[in-house]
Amino acid sequence: MSTQASTQLKANQESNRNWQIGSRWFPFFLLLPSFVFIIIVTGFPLLYSLYVSFTPYELLKPNSLTFELPKALNNYSRLLNDSVFWKSLGNTVLFLTVTVNLEYFLALGLSQLLAQVTRGQAIMRTMLMIPMMFAPILVGFQFRWFFNSNLGLVNNALVSLGLIGEQTRIAWLVDEPLGMISIIIATIWMNLPVMTIILLAGTLSLPQETYEAADVDGASAWQKFRFITLPLLAPFTYIALTIRSLDVARAFDIVRIMTDGGPARRTELIWTYAGRLAIEDTKFGLGSAMSWITVIISVAFTIYLFRQLVKSRIVE
Amino acid sequence: MRKLTLILLITSLLAILSFGVLASAQDAEPQYAGLDKDLSGINIKMLTIGGGQYEAMYQSLPVFEEATGATVEIVTLLDGFEIDKKLIQDYATGAVDYDVAWNHTSFMSRYVGFVEPLNNYFTEEELAQFSPSIIESATIDGNLQLIPRHADISALHYRTDLYDDPDIQAKYKEATGMDLAVPTTLEEVDAQARFFHDNGYTKYGYGIVGKEEAVTGRFYEFLFASGGNYFDENWEPIFNNEIGVSVAELLRGWYADGIISEDTPNLVWDGDAANFCNGDVPIKLEWYGWYSYFQSPDSCPNVAGKFGLARGFSGFQNEGARPTGWAGAHAFSITSASQNKEAAAQLIKFLTSERIAYEEAQLGFLPVRDDVWNRIIADASASGVPLDQVRLEVARTQITEDFKTPPLIAEWIPFSNLFYPYLQAIMLGDVTAQAGLDAAAEEARQLLADAGYYDE
Repeated sequence: MSTQASTQLKANQESNRNWQIGSRWFPFFLLLPSFVFIIIVTGFPLLYSLYVSFTPYELLKPNSLTFELPKALNNYSRLLNDSVFWKSLGNTVLFLTVTVNLEYFLALGLSQLLAQVTRGQAIMRTMLMIPMMFAPILVGFQFRWFFNSNLGLVNNALVSLGLIGEQTRIAWLVDEPLGMISIIIATIWMNLPVMTIILLAGTLSLPQETYEAADVDGASAWQKFRFITLPLLAPFTYIALTIRSLDVARAFDIVRIMTDGGPARRTELIWTYAGRLAIEDTKFGLGSAMSWITVIISVAFTIYLFRQLVKSRIVE
Repeated sequence: MRKLTLILLITSLLAILSFGVLASAQDAEPQYAGLDKDLSGINIKMLTIGGGQYEAMYQSLPVFEEATGATVEIVTLLDGFEIDKKLIQDYATGAVDYDVAWNHTSFMSRYVGFVEPLNNYFTEEELAQFSPSIIESATIDGNLQLIPRHADISALHYRTDLYDDPDIQAKYKEATGMDLAVPTTLEEVDAQARFFHDNGYTKYGYGIVGKEEAVTGRFYEFLFASGGNYFDENWEPIFNNEIGVSVAELLRGWYADGIISEDTPNLVWDGDAANFCNGDVPIKLEWYGWYSYFQSPDSCPNVAGKFGLARGFSGFQNEGARPTGWAGAHAFSITSASQNKEAAAQLIKFLTSERIAYEEAQLGFLPVRDDVWNRIIADASASGVPLDQVRLEVARTQITEDFKTPPLIAEWIPFSNLFYPYLQAIMLGDVTAQAGLDAAAEEARQLLADAGYYDE
């Protein structure tokens, strides 16, 4: 090779290498503004909240925002020895498990039914979204009155249908476990459309050729659903479960209005307790510590769900 | 000459007479206050309570603005509990950019240090116009924390169609040996509540709230009416003594026997009032603010015109028993961060003046000024509804003699938040009255110890 060609080749190789390096970093440069924004809007408050969780800070007592290393873990220690904290955590896990799973099965059924609709599907999809348009606080007020033992719609309907006696009044928001069940019903009523829409979108995107091949092989409806629909819907399922799990784990508005975590802590969730501690009781340090314990659990849970999501896509 | 003298004398007499009539006419009109200073160029910011009837007062602000040259800017209108949360956060973060802030006798202890002592802005004469018991309640360590706007206290509401029914009276006499009369003790309330419920006259026998600060206050009311208290003079919890246990067991018995609604542990004011409005409750303590709601045939056809009002009953017959009277007053304060404290004081004088207070009283709020009491009692006597006048006479007696705030400590809400779940557990039968109150007392002691109440 001549010297000139050799030099040209080296220059080309150099240029290619620079372009590869640049193209590798280019996506990060594009994402940089978003990262900076997230760091400013989310990162700093999170770090400040972490700092506060190591102090005995109380709102209205500015001098209490002092960090002392020997007492740094007092808030966490106190929470771990607090029976109400463990009860609220247990209630939250139970609430999350029942609500998300029930929502999933209902949404799956609803989405499959909707996918079969040939005429008017757009109208039905729109009507399905109606519960989502209400603010959670309004839903809370609505269902609080529905479940009122004396004047509520539910008990009066049951009496009218002859299912309970006139003098029998079910205390939906008081009795255990009816209080939690009532909140679960209200939450599912409001959020079922979210999961349904995600699963419906997934169902409508599934390849029809697979079903046609299954028809040729003589597969039954159940077999098609069990061996084709469900596995192919897995990525959508994990996305829906992740979104709804994080939503439900943050449940506050509906619970605050319907029962405020009572009576006697029967429906106490993490965020009703944390909110009461931090704002009403002004124990901001303690509330921050509880928030961080919850965040760590939520992050762990989210990582697990995302791993399952990635696995399901690899199988695909 | 004599004729001229006579003319002059008659003219003078007529002039004096006219002046007297004019002066009397002026005295008959309620007066504004706080309009005597030039506040031109000053913008006074106010954070205050909103919703329903609370906002009618603010329509008078243009009068103040025109007379003084100031402008008044309402930065936020929120309900009582939301405004407390906002104030806590603003005071904590130093984000206070308003001059006048809402206050309340039940919440004022937590705002101490963030509001300006008002002794320096109001003369003795000006303060004498307000209810002495409220002014005294609002003074902490010699510093007046607020100027009251209007008050509320609970009166005994009872169904006159039941109490005045001869058949029911006869049956009660036969059952108990006592005359059916408006109860004056907790024992009588219990007996009558059970009678009405057990004999099917009403669905429930009594109405009471069951959660949050509402039930903590109602328990406190029964407690102090029975000679008890939450804390002693050294702030040691004493509500788990015999008196507290007897009150808790009363509530537990009522719940177990269906005397109070099965929803009680989840009821606050609106739910509790709705049961009375529906005709399901024969007697209960209730705030005067619900009067027009209960008296309206549109909203409460089952009880409109069929209920009476009486002074609160005494508790269980112990030493120190007295009428109930848990009360509070909405009020105004000047924030310590205000840059216009004098102007803010003038605005508060205006908003709590006789004229504005009278207009609020006409809406149904209970006044905190003697001059306004006299006016509305006179108005009520001319309304044609006897209960309108009775209501005010009873209320005036209660405000003057029975007014009792919760313990004036900054930890009142945190204490309530730890206390009421135990009371609910007692009511529901999850725990005995003694065990529940003992556990609550232990936590309450820890709360106050953390806050530095004890020399340990």
